[in-house]
Amino acid sequence: MLVRDYELSRLFFDLQTPACAEEYRAGRQAVLDRYRLEPAVRTAVEHDDVAFLASRVNPYLLRFYFFVAGMPDAEFIRHLRDADEGGKG
Amino acid sequence: MAVLAGIYAASHGPLIVRNWDQVTPAHREVLNAGFSDLGRRIRSDRLDALVIISPDHWVNFFLDNLPSICVGVGAWHEGPNEPWLTGRFPHRQLAGHPALAGHIVETALQNGFEPSISHRLILDHGFCIPLLKAGVEPLPPIVPVIFNDIEPPFPSVRRCYEWGRMLRRAIESWPHDLRIGVLGSGGLSHSIGEPTMGRIEEDFDRECLSHFAGNSPEVLIDYLTRTLPTVGNGASEIRNWVAAHGVAGGKGFSLIAYGAIPEVFVGCGFACWTP
Repeated sequence: MLVRDYELSRLFFDLQTPACAEEYRAGRQAVLDRYRLEPAVRTAVEHDDVAFLASRVNPYLLRFYFFVAGMPDAEFIRHLRDADEGGKG
Repeated sequence: MAVLAGIYAASHGPLIVRNWDQVTPAHREVLNAGFSDLGRRIRSDRLDALVIISPDHWVNFFLDNLPSICVGVGAWHEGPNEPWLTGRFPHRQLAGHPALAGHIVETALQNGFEPSISHRLILDHGFCIPLLKAGVEPLPPIVPVIFNDIEPPFPSVRRCYEWGRMLRRAIESWPHDLRIGVLGSGGLSHSIGEPTMGRIEEDFDRECLSHFAGNSPEVLIDYLTRTLPTVGNGASEIRNWVAAHGVAGGKGFSLIAYGAIPEVFVGCGFACWTP
């Protein structure tokens, strides 16, 4: 069974609600305060650390999150591939 | 008695709508041909109800509760909630068919399946993009069947095929004069949120299609059981085509169109079966 970070997944899932997504885009901190994220996870969210977050959530939720967060697909894919190459290194 | 009037499959993907402006004319032609032919067939089959098998893209279900198979038994379903689709898809509600859905659930329970049920589902882009792009208007009542193709562990390929065989028995034992269609929505190869995101595995798609066209469901099941774990995660949705193949008894497959469309990240296929 895959290990999933429930709180992080919950954040990404909840951001499907337009009002929640709008609030998040206006200022992440107030939204992040409502989730019991581990400090390292919260830091990764704050720094758009795709590689770190990718190992903790379903790939569809990850993709959806970075779409909401405003990261273009090309940049998102580049981060995913860089992380993969780094992991192989 | 009910009649199985049509069996179909089609790909979906958000970018088919969201990135339509960026799709090349040649690729638009493939997608338009596939969806148009699908719509023409559905309209000419004069359906009284349409069973659609599609994944849930984290719209209805979450890690709290992830059914392998869920049947929508409500009198109506909510339209898509994806902001990029709500303005384009013309229905906020889609009629259901509670009696037929209930009969499918009862038949499943009598045949070794224990699906979950929902009286109120949101039908996301997996359900609504084929309906929208194929121009299925007016919409027949929809019986949604959600397969978990998104978050492991997945139902086995064989189980999906057997679900299709059971679904045919359910339709053919429904004691009312209805013309019923079945649509498998999803696939073919694509990869979402993984390092291979954007990659389309055209060789896999074509071999997969050749196995649908072959005369051995066992070969198809074996091929997909071995290969699905080795290709992009979106290919998991081919389970919905496998269920349609089961409805057809593993024969009568006809490819309508196929194109690897990088602008939408999906190997897009369209097919039908002889009912």
